[in-house]
Amino acid sequence: MWRSLVVVSVLALCGAPAAAQTLPSTPVTALDGRLVVGAEVVATYGDPDNITFFNYTDYEHNTLRMFRAALAASWRPTSRIDVVGEVRSEDLGQVRPYAAYLRVRPWSGRPFDVQVGRIPPTFGAFGRRGYQVSDNPFIGYPLSYQYLTSIRSDAVPATVADLIVMRSRGWRTTYPIGSTDPAPGLPLVSTFRWDTGIQGHWEGRKVDLTGSVTTGTLSDPRVSENNGGKQVSGRVALRPIYGLILGASAARGDFIASNVKRRLSNPDGPYAQTALGADAEYSRDHWLVRGELVWSRWNLPIAAEPTPRDLDALGSWVEGRYRLTPRIFVAARVDRLGFSRVEVGPGFNPTWDARVKRVEVDSGYYIQRNLVARVAVQYNDREGGRIRKRTYFSGQLAFWF
Amino acid sequence: MKRVRYALVVLNTVSTGGLLPSAAARVERDASVNGTIRGRVEIRQALPDLARRPNVGDVAMPRAHDSTDRRRSVVYLETAPRAAFDQREEPRPKLDQRNETFVPHVLAIVAGTTVDFPNNDQTYHNVFSFSATQPFDLGRYPPGGRFKSIKFDRPGIVRVFCDIHSHMSAFILVFAHRHFSVTDDEGHYRLDNVPPGTYTVIAWNEAAPSESKRVVIPESGGDVETNFSLGRR
Repeated sequence: MWRSLVVVSVLALCGAPAAAQTLPSTPVTALDGRLVVGAEVVATYGDPDNITFFNYTDYEHNTLRMFRAALAASWRPTSRIDVVGEVRSEDLGQVRPYAAYLRVRPWSGRPFDVQVGRIPPTFGAFGRRGYQVSDNPFIGYPLSYQYLTSIRSDAVPATVADLIVMRSRGWRTTYPIGSTDPAPGLPLVSTFRWDTGIQGHWEGRKVDLTGSVTTGTLSDPRVSENNGGKQVSGRVALRPIYGLILGASAARGDFIASNVKRRLSNPDGPYAQTALGADAEYSRDHWLVRGELVWSRWNLPIAAEPTPRDLDALGSWVEGRYRLTPRIFVAARVDRLGFSRVEVGPGFNPTWDARVKRVEVDSGYYIQRNLVARVAVQYNDREGGRIRKRTYFSGQLAFWF
Repeated sequence: MKRVRYALVVLNTVSTGGLLPSAAARVERDASVNGTIRGRVEIRQALPDLARRPNVGDVAMPRAHDSTDRRRSVVYLETAPRAAFDQREEPRPKLDQRNETFVPHVLAIVAGTTVDFPNNDQTYHNVFSFSATQPFDLGRYPPGGRFKSIKFDRPGIVRVFCDIHSHMSAFILVFAHRHFSVTDDEGHYRLDNVPPGTYTVIAWNEAAPSESKRVVIPESGGDVETNFSLGRR
């Protein structure tokens, strides 16, 4: 059914040229400009993927085959307070809050802001902009922010063999300790859910500092507490010259749920996800180049073992976009996600999950400045699983105001 | 006796959603004393400022940007005397970028004019237009120093945006002749050196349908006052 609706939506948006030119192009304002409302509708149609699950998200949706609608609003009752929120629906499913926070500038003369609620991610760069169609030239997502590993927060393996059996099966992982229901694993950094907590940000002339304390972790953002622990994360961004942004991030938080910890011989752990990141962006003329490096370590408890195993993952990607003409752009991204090795037995130390590589090439055409049509070809190569290589073709129509 | 020729101006107007008459009509008139058409354009409805799209990914209070002066209108002659089409050296106007706003918001120029786009802000901008009259994309360039320019050769309306700051926009109206005027802070306009004759005067504003009025400059010249009221009550 959703496919029919996608087709109808695409046809409606592409109807007569006059219709495209009369679509709203600016956000709606009210209350003397203090309330601003914007929206985004994105229809993506690509090859089905119910075997390899390369592009599945933690909501069990396929980023290359999705209908997404979002409504965002910002209300500024005073000059130093903003109330910000966004709700989203994917594939015409339940409408969920994506962001909902209060932003306060305690001192009007100082560029320091505090945000409380369901807040933007502190770590890295992609998490804050990746979902914004207007600033993301690609249909697909970087592996570090989307690909489901075999790690879960609500279930753990009894033996290391349980872990290895789940290699390349992050879309549907099962472990005997904790929740025994099959469920998706976690990405390195989730961009499809935001965490809840408090965040402080200082914006200098050349340096920005951001820090936060939140309920969940990078890979498992949460609204409600599930383990009594908090995550601390921070980012420093430098702007040495116009067009260049260099960032460094760090985060650490307890990721295993309390009901799982109680079943372990050492319930106190710690069982943390620790992450370090580096990001860079440079733009000039018609070029835009970005890249990120994300290293994550999970201290994963194995029920039969006295100490947790350190499972590392390293994600890295580089992308570039070039505007050929005012309306046409091309973009390419090269991406890799690798995993550390675990000792299973004498002479047998495979990676705890299967290495993935991805290359995506996109091209887009602006029908009007807030209506863009994109096409993409994405090649994936995985070092495990039933099907190891897969190429996807997808198209997308995105509208926002 | 000076003989002047008139020709119709072709001008695409996005706001009115249609084309003005494009047939050329050449009328010969004797010119004796040139007159002035002046008046005021009233914008009936309040025009909200261009708002920044809410970005939930911001970790800081968005920087305040200057208000966009959307009251500016352009008044022009639909038909113009021949002298208005004479080629001459035109000054180079600027469409500046300051505090995340284009200054001025409305620019009116003669075809063949080169417009400079200096960036005097504190951040990158990427000025572009999809207009059929003159599509262009200047790319991203930093504040200060070298700036970019575009020559506008064809009459029409050019809608200008910034690719980075969605709340920034401006209009460049390109005319084939010189009888046009951008209203001042109070909405006043003035068209000088108009030879005697009958003219259609059009008032344009981005937020309302254009309005036209018939104006007669008598043989003795002089001032003629014509006022406009645009927009819904």
